[in-house]
Amino acid sequence: MPQNPDNVLDHFNLFRQPEYKEMFENKKKNFENPVADEELERVREWTKTEEYREQNFAREALTVNPAKACQPLGAVFAAVGFQETIPFVHGSQGCVAYYRSHFSRHFKEPTSCVSSSMTEDAAVFGGLNNMIDGLANTYNMYKPKMISVSTTCMAEVIGDDLNAFIKTAKEKGSVPQEYDVPFAHTPAFVGSHITGYDNVMKGVVEHFWDGKAGTAPKLERVPNEKINFFGGFDGYTVGNLREIKRIFNSMNVEYTIMGDNSDVWDTPTDGEFRMYDGGTTLEDAADAVHAKATISMQEYCTEKTLKFIETKGHEVVAFNHPLGVKGTDEFLMAISRITGKPISAELTRERGRLVDAIADSSAHIHGKKFAIYGDPDLCIGLASFLLELGAEPTHVLSSNGGKAWEAKMQGILDASPFGKGCHAYGGRDLWHMRSLLFTEPVDFLIGNTYGKYLDRDTGTPLIRIGFPIFDRHHYHRYPVWGYQGAMNVLVWILDKIFDEIDRNTNVVAKSDYSFDIIR
Amino acid sequence: MSDLRQIAFYGKGGIGKSTTSQNTLAALAAMDQKILIVGCDPKADSTRLILHSKAQDTILSLAAEAGSVEDLELEDVMKVGFRDIRCVESGGPEPGVGCAGRGVITSINFLEENGAYEGVDYVSYDVLGDVVCGGFAMPIRENKAQEIYIVMSGEMMAMYAANNISKGILKYANSGGVRLGGLVCNERQTDKEYELAEALAEKLGTKLIYFVPRDNIVQHAELRRMTVIEYAPDCAQAEHYRTLATKIHANKGNGVIPTPITMDELEDLLMAHGIMKAVDESQVGKTASELTA
Amino acid sequence: MSLAPAESIEDIKARNKALIKEVLEVYPEKTAKRRAKHLGTFEEGKPDCGVKSNIKSIPGVMTIRGCAYAGSKGVVWGPIKDMIHISHGPVGCGQYSWASRRNYYIGTTGVDTFGTMQFTSDFQEKDIVFGGDKKLAKIMDEIQVLFPLNKGITVQSECPIGLIGDDIEAVSKAKSKEYEGKTIVPVRCEGFRGVSQSLGHHIANDAVRDWVFDKQEGKPARFEQTDYDVAIIGDYNIGGDAWSSRILLEEMGLRVIAQWSGDGTIAELEATPKAKLNVLHCYRSMNYISRHMEEKYGIPWVEYNFFGPTKIEESLRKIASHFDDKIKEGAERVIAKYRALTDAVIAKYRPRLEGKTVMLFVGGLRPRHVIGAYEDLGMEIVGTGYEFGHNDDYQRTTHYVKDGTLIYDDVTGYEFEKFVEKIQPDLVGSGIKEKYVFQKMGVPFRQMHSWDYSGPYHGYDGFAIFARDMDMAINSPVWKLAKTPWAA
Repeated sequence: MPQNPDNVLDHFNLFRQPEYKEMFENKKKNFENPVADEELERVREWTKTEEYREQNFAREALTVNPAKACQPLGAVFAAVGFQETIPFVHGSQGCVAYYRSHFSRHFKEPTSCVSSSMTEDAAVFGGLNNMIDGLANTYNMYKPKMISVSTTCMAEVIGDDLNAFIKTAKEKGSVPQEYDVPFAHTPAFVGSHITGYDNVMKGVVEHFWDGKAGTAPKLERVPNEKINFFGGFDGYTVGNLREIKRIFNSMNVEYTIMGDNSDVWDTPTDGEFRMYDGGTTLEDAADAVHAKATISMQEYCTEKTLKFIETKGHEVVAFNHPLGVKGTDEFLMAISRITGKPISAELTRERGRLVDAIADSSAHIHGKKFAIYGDPDLCIGLASFLLELGAEPTHVLSSNGGKAWEAKMQGILDASPFGKGCHAYGGRDLWHMRSLLFTEPVDFLIGNTYGKYLDRDTGTPLIRIGFPIFDRHHYHRYPVWGYQGAMNVLVWILDKIFDEIDRNTNVVAKSDYSFDIIR
Repeated sequence: MSDLRQIAFYGKGGIGKSTTSQNTLAALAAMDQKILIVGCDPKADSTRLILHSKAQDTILSLAAEAGSVEDLELEDVMKVGFRDIRCVESGGPEPGVGCAGRGVITSINFLEENGAYEGVDYVSYDVLGDVVCGGFAMPIRENKAQEIYIVMSGEMMAMYAANNISKGILKYANSGGVRLGGLVCNERQTDKEYELAEALAEKLGTKLIYFVPRDNIVQHAELRRMTVIEYAPDCAQAEHYRTLATKIHANKGNGVIPTPITMDELEDLLMAHGIMKAVDESQVGKTASELTA
Repeated sequence: MSLAPAESIEDIKARNKALIKEVLEVYPEKTAKRRAKHLGTFEEGKPDCGVKSNIKSIPGVMTIRGCAYAGSKGVVWGPIKDMIHISHGPVGCGQYSWASRRNYYIGTTGVDTFGTMQFTSDFQEKDIVFGGDKKLAKIMDEIQVLFPLNKGITVQSECPIGLIGDDIEAVSKAKSKEYEGKTIVPVRCEGFRGVSQSLGHHIANDAVRDWVFDKQEGKPARFEQTDYDVAIIGDYNIGGDAWSSRILLEEMGLRVIAQWSGDGTIAELEATPKAKLNVLHCYRSMNYISRHMEEKYGIPWVEYNFFGPTKIEESLRKIASHFDDKIKEGAERVIAKYRALTDAVIAKYRPRLEGKTVMLFVGGLRPRHVIGAYEDLGMEIVGTGYEFGHNDDYQRTTHYVKDGTLIYDDVTGYEFEKFVEKIQPDLVGSGIKEKYVFQKMGVPFRQMHSWDYSGPYHGYDGFAIFARDMDMAINSPVWKLAKTPWAA
């Protein structure tokens, strides 16, 4: 009997005990009709070949292990960033259970979001009644300041019209006439979670600036000195937005963070559950029309939003998840240029420290090959930082990166001496990446939690940067933007490099000689 | 942008909706109006008379080839025909597969996002016979078509469809700005057709914009994939379409929220005009042999 | 924190009544009326728990429920490890359910095993407009090329499939024929069907019946049959649950020929009609197929409960009662063998947990099945409810709960929070969406779907882990840190 009450064995060790191992063998042999070992081995080896890669890249219909989610996830991400706002997703209810779970697994925080719970009858007759009842219930139960409506693919296929439905719901008294219910159609079969973020942000801005769906006068822009800031869909939103505020305060910049979800996904454990916390106030969201400029940290998360904002006369500036020295330089210089405020001495100091750290460590990174995957902007930011470190981002893959992204990414790679032989792969998935890692191996892989399967299969050590990160805790609390953020990323990369060196040199009487205590 | 007029032609399949709309729009173009036609019927036959083509490449078929609609440029999908009328066809799947309604949503979103409506005076949507799902109602959502013209005839099913479309308009009229512009009767030479059309218009709270008489010249023009306006601009029929176009042009802002009627009321209307006999309740559900017994 | 011992059953019932009345006040009238039917107090002697169940969730209330796709792909089919399960539709559903349920298995993932992979048709707008059947057919071809060792394919329908009228059955049949009778199973588990995961279970069960069993008619078993062949039905091997259960059945002399569906294979599904007895753990998700096998093949089925020693003992004897003395003796031998372990576990943990109160809200069988394990540790269940239970679940629950237990069906976020706030249990057991809500409130919490990344909890080996985890949650020093020392 393996179990021991003094030292309880759970799944990690219990199933490695002989009783269980024997049981597994018998199960397989007698009942599973297993593939013969040689055949298994043959196919396993074949999947590592150039031939397999070719067939794998010839796929036209099947997607395996994609690194992207669907629009409504981004819709929820954007909506919870406004003060006391509940995302209301019109369509099937299971979707909402998924979004809530997904975010809670990443942030280790509650995520409040409701569904209009459409079922078969709504599929036939449309979901108007679900909207009417749903808005009334949400409004009464959770007393939000705003309800941000988006859609699942079900509502999109049957063609429900949010604008008309919300108006009708207001007429029926679900919520008061003047109550804020911005909306965005977010079909899951178009784009990805970053598209959903874009659509909801555009929906919110349009709502407040352009007369609340025809119920109020449009706002007349009277330009002021403020700048608006969009972070985009970002797994590090908690750490990043706080860092951005620190940077802006350090430069005395007046700003509005649009969709500030850094507090609602980082509430304290002190005896009280805060369904809402922090967030961009509705007044600020409306006043943001008067800003002199709008900054987006992630171009591909804000394409439509920025296009709309530009029509209001704002200067709009979009970055691609700036990361590292040059990325941060460009970001700060743009802020300084727009606001006329100098880059503070404090930040200048931080830059110097980051360069110092890179100088101290670059010998360990220089020339190392990396594979990266993630959202399009993150990939650009990470790849640019690696190039700056003298590393080679050999494979850069983005499942939700389109042709324009691929061209832009390839251009960045081609422009650097460290980007020779490096390739951008838009619209590909992690099964493609698996073939790349087998046929053109690299030293390290950077990606989200799902990268651990690639790490296991191909032996490429995974550095966890991206979304979602389910199997490591608290990284979302750290920034990756600004010089301080780049410092974090540098340390994460270095930690993995050093761990690998140690792991490969720790065999007594075999590799004692490189097992150094000073590196 | 604010002067842009967005209109839509709805009507039962086979009623001559596409013919009527294209001839009317051609007449409007001849009045120096800049026109964009958005065909919203999976059959994709809303622009053939303007373009002199069998069928235009549709947005959806081009998108399917290119990968996605994001991969398309406006010039890929927009063709220019008679009198600079811009034409696009939404297209859609073969009957029985996929979701044509979603296709309408996709196409209109694409056109709006890519600035297809800039610099035109009229956008006209030509929409499949009946409002069968939410997608086909896309053209009457807020900020889309403001006036709907229902093409009908004196046939019972056409009138039934007209009434149904009015119901769809009513649904969106309360929340959006869509209005019923009026009925256009495309003569089928049924009994008392004009009177019936007038009576239905009155019941629906609207008016009969025009009664287009039947003329074979329309068919002659169609065989040449042309509108009558282009084929024989001096014929009487062309004059009818010009009159209709003038009336529609003058009808701006005169749309109404329709007052659709019940099936019983519709039957009463037909009976009042002697088209349908009063139903003898004792005969309902009886077979022929039962009735002769 | 616990209820004062002096509190009488009548007091508790009165408190529950007041509490329910209070939460209902927040709702609009129509909603209050509907929700009232789902909230109640168990009255000793009643045949059920006095609540309505398996009814549509109300829009906008923050239900905890999922959908039919989750019930089929996530629960029933997903764990079958040597088949490829296509999440058919847009990318999200497959992404959010990718490897998140901890259905443990052993195999070479990506080569002969596919459990922790996400196969999706990643529908784009054009697939919606033109239909997805051609794409599906092509996907199957590509699977055959790239994953040649797969033993079958299932098509897990997402919402759009049913709405656009795709004929996945025709595609599956044609491809099955093309690939020499390969098992290809179309599953109509679109998320808008039914009111919760539950219909997805049923649809998935029916798909096994129609697309797996019917093909096996008249085929002999792949192995030599014995009188002691049983199949484990309704164990998804969360954290290895099915394994710590299987070991006990085998130790008592039975032979487990199939696991449904945790660590399961298509060969095991196919072999199940050869079993002498089906032992059913999760009644909710797999009673359908058990009943079918009883009717069609004459295989009896027996429900069992492997949470906590009391229920395990009872269940081992109940299962043995279907067999001869050899097995009955085997059951006694197993019970005796593990008694020292369970005694030691209880001796260690019961003093730390005695009298602690628990509120549960879980899925399938757990709102009732785990109660015995808590009671073995001296703990008390003061409230429980089902995410997607039916009335037969609530009937079965009457054998587990005490008079005066608060019952809440398809609880809403608001209700659950209020109930816990007022009742102040020492532990809440529910899911990931609820976990952090209650931990913020300073209430210890365990996820009772995923075992909070621990487990197994089934069987004797699992009970030791269960006890350790509950102690760890309740007696963690962190809860004493929640309040600042300087607060008034």
